Amino acid sequence: MSFKGSAVAAVPPLLACLGLLALWEGAARVLNINGLPPAWDALRELPQILGDREALLNIAASLRRMLIGFVLALLISIPLGLAMARSPRVAALCNPLLMIIYPVPKAALMPIIMLWLGIGDASKTIVIVLGVSLPVIYHSYQGARAVEEKLIWSAAAMGMRPTARLLRIVLPAALPQIFVGIRTGLVLALITMVTSEMIARQAGVGSILFNALDMAQYASVYAMIVIIGVLGFVLDSLFERLRAKLLGWADADHDIAVGTA
Amino acid sequence: MLGLLPPAGLIALWHCIASAGWAPAALLPLPSAVFARLLEQLHNPVFLQHAATTLFRLFAGFGIAVVLGVLLGVAAASNRRFEALLRPLLRVLAPVPKIALYPALVLILGFEHASKVALVVADAVFPILLATYQGAASVEPKLVWSARAAGASPRRTLLTVVVPAALPAILTGCRIGLVISSIVVFLAEMLTSTDGLGHLLVYASRSFQTVDMFVPLISVALIGLLLNAAFNALQKRLLAGFPGEG
Repeated sequence: MSFKGSAVAAVPPLLACLGLLALWEGAARVLNINGLPPAWDALRELPQILGDREALLNIAASLRRMLIGFVLALLISIPLGLAMARSPRVAALCNPLLMIIYPVPKAALMPIIMLWLGIGDASKTIVIVLGVSLPVIYHSYQGARAVEEKLIWSAAAMGMRPTARLLRIVLPAALPQIFVGIRTGLVLALITMVTSEMIARQAGVGSILFNALDMAQYASVYAMIVIIGVLGFVLDSLFERLRAKLLGWADADHDIAVGTA
Repeated sequence: MLGLLPPAGLIALWHCIASAGWAPAALLPLPSAVFARLLEQLHNPVFLQHAATTLFRLFAGFGIAVVLGVLLGVAAASNRRFEALLRPLLRVLAPVPKIALYPALVLILGFEHASKVALVVADAVFPILLATYQGAASVEPKLVWSARAAGASPRRTLLTVVVPAALPAILTGCRIGLVISSIVVFLAEMLTSTDGLGHLLVYASRSFQTVDMFVPLISVALIGLLLNAAFNALQKRLLAGFPGEG
């Protein structure tokens, strides 16, 4: 199901948001507990949080770390995934290590990395790089592995050098798959960022959220949750539009992103 | 064999850094000390109790996520109206970091099992639901038509044709959800908890017991690895004879 025109496409998600808010408002009224303030109370906190210089600086700093970690991860993961696909030896070398890293909760490394590098940007950025890398490596690998061999042979027969073949044949052909990985990676970057900040409790979006919880400012807790949720949805939507623009020639086989820390 | 090199190399590097005194033992203990402690803890009833708590939350959350995910996925694939309702909701909710909901879950469900199980469900249900939906929606229509033409009721067709045909996709979604569950339960326990493996890590980090910080982390990674391998084996067994499956 695909919608032409972004205005029409925006209607069902908007209705879904309104439905969720109505559900929340209803649940808050029925349950009537301190821990679940009505949706309207939380939304009223939004201007206050978004008008607060300190909170905005914190959110901006979080996003900056997230983007740096995300870009670094892409710079490492895409070439590695392509190399694994083109060379069985590199694949044999890397696969077991990646399999071991896969079930490790990346954000849980935070307390250990903090011992070594302190609570600054370096620790949080490393954790984000780790969180983003795996899906990007995996999808780059799968995408480049599925490239039609005849294309590569033809290019080689016409005298194209190996590096040129990699950049001009393999990379473009694998791009739709790579973008699936990048999209998952983007969601994971946000998740890892929030989680590592919740664990470090030093600065950033995640720590604002937990500090509000500690101070029993329940409306602020829910307002922060809304801000983080909207960030996730907006980042994902922006990326999907970018993908549609760049890769309009390829069919989107996944139109919903999933990921976790 | 080649694949053993990087993990072995990393452990050797770790050993060199720790034993050469470049990093104090309080910051980086010897790998042998960590593995010895891990083996010791596997016989420690207190540690096993914490691990059991984590496993209970993991399986409770995963079980609920499987039931919810498969039911909603099959319903969306077989009912257009329900699909039209569910799709925009998924589009909005899937990219939201579920861990951000955790404070809300704690406020509503309390600090005990329920909030952690709920977070595991929230995170694990999406890959299962999406895989089920995609699997069930891409079942060869001729199979469904033949079953209907042969007189099977819509419900019977769903149960005996659509769900079995979607099984490979469903199981793949479940395997991803299982690893996600093991990661999420650990993170939830790190954030607020008085028991479980995640709590052990935070507790050790507060008292700067570096060796004891590594042990729960390695344990939960091993749990994820073992569950993944076990589920892989189960998947192979269940899918024996399926076209395109080993």
